[in-house]
Amino acid sequence: MDVFFTSPWIPAEWIRAHGHEPRGLWSAENFQPGASPLSAGVCAFAEAAVRFAEAQKGSAVIFSTACDQMRRGFDTAMLHGQRRAFLFNFPATQTAVAKDIFRSELERLGQFLLTLGGCAPSPELLRLKMLPSGATRKHLLESAATSSPRGFAEAVAQFHWDGTFSPLPPTAPPNQIPLALVGGPFLAPHWKLLDEIEAAGGRVVLNATKTGERSLSPSFVFAADTNPFDALIHGYCDHLVDVFQRPNTRLYSWLKPRLASRQVRGIVLWHFTGCDLWRAEAQTLRESFGLPVLLLEASEEPGNTPRELTRLQAFVETLK
Amino acid sequence: MNPAPRKLNLDEWDERYEQLCRDGLREPGYGGSLRRHVVHEKDFRLEQLQFDNSAAALRLWNFLLTENARLHQARARGDKIVGTMKDLGTVPVMAYSLPGVRAFYPDGAWWTPCLMECSDKLLQQAEAMGIDASFCPVRAMLPAFENGEHFPKPDLLICSTGAVCDDFSAIAQRLEHRGHSILWWEMPRRRAPAANEISCALPGNLTAPKIQVDCVRTELQRVGQALGELAGKTLDDDCLAAGIRAANQVRQLLNSLRQTVYSAPAAPLPALEMLVAEMLAIHFCSDHEETIAVLDGLLAEAQARVEQNQFVISADAVRIFWVNPVADLRAMNLLEELGGRICGSDYMFTHALDLIPENLPPLEALARIALADPMVGPTADRAARIVRDCLANRAEAVVVSRIPGASHCAREGEIIREIVRQQIGIPVIELEIPPVCDAMLPTLGSRLQALLETARARRL
Repeated sequence: MDVFFTSPWIPAEWIRAHGHEPRGLWSAENFQPGASPLSAGVCAFAEAAVRFAEAQKGSAVIFSTACDQMRRGFDTAMLHGQRRAFLFNFPATQTAVAKDIFRSELERLGQFLLTLGGCAPSPELLRLKMLPSGATRKHLLESAATSSPRGFAEAVAQFHWDGTFSPLPPTAPPNQIPLALVGGPFLAPHWKLLDEIEAAGGRVVLNATKTGERSLSPSFVFAADTNPFDALIHGYCDHLVDVFQRPNTRLYSWLKPRLASRQVRGIVLWHFTGCDLWRAEAQTLRESFGLPVLLLEASEEPGNTPRELTRLQAFVETLK
Repeated sequence: MNPAPRKLNLDEWDERYEQLCRDGLREPGYGGSLRRHVVHEKDFRLEQLQFDNSAAALRLWNFLLTENARLHQARARGDKIVGTMKDLGTVPVMAYSLPGVRAFYPDGAWWTPCLMECSDKLLQQAEAMGIDASFCPVRAMLPAFENGEHFPKPDLLICSTGAVCDDFSAIAQRLEHRGHSILWWEMPRRRAPAANEISCALPGNLTAPKIQVDCVRTELQRVGQALGELAGKTLDDDCLAAGIRAANQVRQLLNSLRQTVYSAPAAPLPALEMLVAEMLAIHFCSDHEETIAVLDGLLAEAQARVEQNQFVISADAVRIFWVNPVADLRAMNLLEELGGRICGSDYMFTHALDLIPENLPPLEALARIALADPMVGPTADRAARIVRDCLANRAEAVVVSRIPGASHCAREGEIIREIVRQQIGIPVIELEIPPVCDAMLPTLGSRLQALLETARARRL
């Protein structure tokens, strides 16, 4: 069964080990943020996830508690009768208790996957599912700095869709303003923005959106006596990098060396309407890295509005 | 002899206060005329409000409006000040279990722009700090922390995180980035226990799996250690048990008050005073003993009025269940001016009104009450309690008050509306109330009138 996950921090390996097909929901063709009218303050991504879940007949959707919008979006989906939905409780802190929560949530998810007709995986099977995904993440990360921004976004989306990876041809870095794209989910309809940034004279050298390079941070270490389940927990808990963590210092520690090594000169902060978690970081990003920050809001319609485009062009121009 | 209950504006209260003084009114140290809060604290909103005319209400208002001053006095006396954020009711029980510790909610600064009619410029300052008007008015706490003109800087800052509002969490994180160290503690999103899990009963007719209760208990233990270190005294079970008993004393009083007022044939106390009184539950307005005295006074007043068949709102007023606190206190007056009365409420902290179990180990009991927070569980759970309370108090309509920019408001109103309509079929309306709602009064009034008319029509 296809099991759609709404966050890259939900371990796809665990779903695959139970005999299901993990799918990054944001890569699904019929996942359409902005396709429906929104109530005030509702995030288009969360709303699209709810509508997507409600429309599913033969598949399941895993929501997460990473933000209030998704958490309550799950409530809406349940109210409307979707029973093949699961809410994964991501701990916000990084304490021992947080790791216990993550572990118990994985166990609970395992039970849910069994009810969908899955099989309980042996440790060896889990290890076999983790090894290739760990290697693929590594390959993708290695190609991040040298690939075209759009090619990289597509490759990461492909990985979250079916776990595969086609090596990306390296592109010669043109003489353009290096930018970082930081923020929430950056979806296929938005990839045009990468071309528009290039046309304006910039280039995204760090895609730190939720569906970009940052989403590849989980990594697994197998010692001789390591239980794969423990490795899975540590691989995610110890490497998860997101804005909802408290404190969210790990996000800043992750960004700092990458911004420096790629000589980033400006940050585009990408967010959906109603995403308080990301919007509140704009000033902190400016203060922490001394870089100009442009807030870009995902428009409700696919593509970017002329106004957003003009802002983007002006932003790049100021950095020239 | 007490005059008949009625609502007074501030000018009328000046005269009333003089009369009370002439009649020998005895007040606590924070007492005085309401007018002085306008003159000295610039609480200009008071000039637009209608207040209950009882001495008990005067004491309530003076207690509320002197909190910052009392906190500064406590600091000067050597008390330790704890800023506790977001959990609304649990950590303060722990803090007040220790001698010489006072806890308050910096979150409470969200009412400052309302009270001062934005003359404090806190919201503009918050914007300059990167938190603009698209966030909840609780952003006022950000500059309040830095300018020191409101509450004292806490000795310890504690904030629950996890299943909490995004806007609040984001603002608190911004606060930490600005150098205010925070002890974060994890609050998992409450869920129903699975068939194979051990289930724990929570206050408010809720359940949670034992694993979640254990998690919160462990986190509260960490919080307790930090509080103990601050106080220089271990927060042991005996201390906590005493603290829980003291908190329950307040909760029992509030339950009696709510029962007396909300079940009376007409309202013996106005909605606004009831909102403020309920707020005392979360951290005792920084003084536990005085909270009890204030609530005692209000309860005695309400009971006496009911006994004498004297009410401040007429019996034909439409019985409204109100969900969420209002950013502008004026909205509670407005409801009554238009012919409504409050017969039940969920101001986001029903768990702070429920009694904390005294038959459990103290930390276990606190973990269970923390998990009963209506904001950390499914909205359907919250709606179920609203339905129960609406039925119990014969509510004729529900108002879901939206807080501008609050992340939970984006969806919860629709869910609550759907469940209330399905289960009891009474009308529900959502209203967004900004910190100063004057410009919105015609719209708010029209919407409320439509609701009240609809509810009245259903009586036929």
